[in-house]
Amino acid sequence: MTGTIARLLAAGMTAIAALTMVVATTPAALAQGKTMTVRFYDDPAGFDPANIFRIENENIAFNIFSGLTTYDGVTGEIVPDLATSWETANNKTWTFKLREGVQFQKGYGEMTAADVIYSFNRIKDPETGSPYEAELAGIVSMAAPDPYTVVIELDAPNGNFLHTVANYHQGQIVSQKAIEDAADQVRWQPVGTGPYYLDSIDVSSQIVLKRHEDYYKGPAPIETLVFNIIKDEATATIALRNGEVDLVMRSSQEENLATLEAEGFTMNSVMNYAVALMVLNPEHEALADRRVRQAIAHAVDFEAISQAIAPSLQQAHYSMLMPWMDVYTDEIAIYRYDPEKAKTLLAEAGYPDGFTFRNLSTSAQGVTEVQQFQIDYLSQVGITMEMELVDTPTFNQRRNSGDFDSATRLLPAVNPDMILFSFLHPDNLVPNGLNGARYDNPKVTELLEAARAEADEATAFELYKQVQQMVAEDLPYVPTYANNVFWPSKPEVTGVHINYLAQVDFWAVDIAE
Amino acid sequence: MTEYAAKKFLQMLVTVLGIVTLVFFTLRLIPGDAASAMAGDTLSGEALERLREQLGLDAPLPLQYFGYLGDLLRGDLGETITTRIPIAELLFRALPITLSIALATIVLAVLISIPLGTLAAFMVHKGRRWLDNALTGAAMVIDLMPPFWTALVLLLVFSLGLGWFPASGQLNWNDPSSIMLRLALPVIVLSLSQVATLARITRTAVLDVLNEDYVRTARSLGWSELRVLFRHALKNAALPIATVVGLSFGNLLGGTVIVEFIFTIPGVGNLLITGINSRDYQLVQTLIVVYALVFVLINFTTDLVYRALDPRVQF
Repeated sequence: MTGTIARLLAAGMTAIAALTMVVATTPAALAQGKTMTVRFYDDPAGFDPANIFRIENENIAFNIFSGLTTYDGVTGEIVPDLATSWETANNKTWTFKLREGVQFQKGYGEMTAADVIYSFNRIKDPETGSPYEAELAGIVSMAAPDPYTVVIELDAPNGNFLHTVANYHQGQIVSQKAIEDAADQVRWQPVGTGPYYLDSIDVSSQIVLKRHEDYYKGPAPIETLVFNIIKDEATATIALRNGEVDLVMRSSQEENLATLEAEGFTMNSVMNYAVALMVLNPEHEALADRRVRQAIAHAVDFEAISQAIAPSLQQAHYSMLMPWMDVYTDEIAIYRYDPEKAKTLLAEAGYPDGFTFRNLSTSAQGVTEVQQFQIDYLSQVGITMEMELVDTPTFNQRRNSGDFDSATRLLPAVNPDMILFSFLHPDNLVPNGLNGARYDNPKVTELLEAARAEADEATAFELYKQVQQMVAEDLPYVPTYANNVFWPSKPEVTGVHINYLAQVDFWAVDIAE
Repeated sequence: MTEYAAKKFLQMLVTVLGIVTLVFFTLRLIPGDAASAMAGDTLSGEALERLREQLGLDAPLPLQYFGYLGDLLRGDLGETITTRIPIAELLFRALPITLSIALATIVLAVLISIPLGTLAAFMVHKGRRWLDNALTGAAMVIDLMPPFWTALVLLLVFSLGLGWFPASGQLNWNDPSSIMLRLALPVIVLSLSQVATLARITRTAVLDVLNEDYVRTARSLGWSELRVLFRHALKNAALPIATVVGLSFGNLLGGTVIVEFIFTIPGVGNLLITGINSRDYQLVQTLIVVYALVFVLINFTTDLVYRALDPRVQF
């Protein structure tokens, strides 16, 4: 017995000694070429364009793949990618000229028109089970008159088709051979034509991307990108301040941003990335009245709230669209803070003493500071907003099926037509679509369809403008805040341009040694 | 002894089967599934249905249940629903990390708390209470500090302030020193609360036996106080201490979740949270079965240790 205890003690002593006497070792010197370490904020879920979810995974895929078009990192405009040019006479037949000599990663050869057709057919194939199938449903036929030309025929004119074929989800071009080689592991063995390829991955801790030497724009400045999974915001901030990471993908706490800015870190950011909306369910008797919805918008001082709570991360916003979108107009009804007006509207609607509704939210988030203010503001005009907190998957489930009085939705999208159609067209009513406000205004529907089909840009703009104006009157969704995204980095990191999909093209990123 | 072990083993099987069944069905009672958790803000309606079919979530429940049991019996832990990774592979990577943390924590806690508790008991016995008072006070304060808070404070002081330990980075088994640097802070955080509990238990247990006749007899034989204290008193007080150490170890295997999250340690707790958040039934139920097995094994081992500590214990 004594022997056992002695042995245990000895083992313990050794462990403690090892723990306390450890000497810091320098990590093994990496092969020549620059390396950059980036914070990744969640477990990766795979990078198959047909089945990709969540911004952080999309950001990796954005650098592995290319589309026919892509988004300019600085202006957000659609620019050529694999296609050097395109033409369409009627928004229905689209002809793309492909770049010659573009190489797939890992020796999968040259990308040609056949790969483009394969990639789109793969999304359209029900066997693939891609949730993005509907995006390409309008394609009636595809042809390749030569290896560098693709002709796509749509069932109806679509002025937004260049968004559909951009480097995002369904638009990303894969290699047939690589897909077949990967079999059921495509999500972990992606092969594209982008500036970086997936070198290795440990799903619980690290993703390593290596530079694609044959990238058509030339090799990227940094050879190795190491994405370290750090979920906790405070830890990510400490890791940056400690020099363990060079760049933090998405820093989302106001106090951390303030600390980092004060210490001289570069605050790479994109403003007005997405708008948050209050989705109001008209099956709730009071919320069915548009005067009540307008009263809600007038009752809350969203500007004061964002200034008080997170001035860097968000600002008050009054439209479903973003100012940088080409069809955006600011000539719409704006509901600034005006509690008296709110009370008048409520009285007119028959609710002089207010009413009660329940706001669905996640227990993970809890009742946020913003919501606490919101509850208080609403109570001042007699409206009681009760909070219903459920766990995140339940929240998603109920929000998708439309089972709430009110809920919040964030609209991360670059294509204004997609936003308006998803949220306002009766074809997209819950539970089949995102139209949680059950909005069905025949006039708006007609305008939307006409705008999408319109080939003339100026006419299309007029139609979209009318839609925005009518929706601002009806107010099925109350816009609350526009969000900003921050990727703080060491000062020596350059070229971090976050696009409006909150993605960074690492081909442009460099780090001074 | 063999009969006892066989009986215990059967009990263990029934317990585990019960847990498997309970977990399987309760998990599916929670609203939401892997498809809606995956899709988040982006999908709804038909697209979501398609995803559900693709993930095999549309199969009838009994079919899913018996299929799962069959796989388990064959030793096939299955794949995660959302990411199609073999769960055995994930566990193979995560379990050694969590086990190392739990073991190191227990060793550290035992090494500090048992001498401390014994000494405190001895001082009380001798009528000098200052160490006991200090110990009780410190234990109370430590117990009241939530681990996530202690973790952040330690990170700020030792990682950011002094630069002794990294806050993030890869755990590379080929580089033991880097592993120890990475795991040192989590082990310290977890040990603190264990020390508080264990020291108090030890103090009470030792104090109880110090008044026993055989301790007085040992003294009368002229043996040194230290020998009496550690050879006679502590050994006889070991039973409750062993029980608490066993339980603590089990709790540590499941209770390192927050600490793993803050210190970015890809252990089992992290895996479990990922599974629950993404409604990955397969991952969660498999992890719970593993936890159940570990707990049952620990109980079994504790029983055997009792016998080693006290020959009077009969099975």
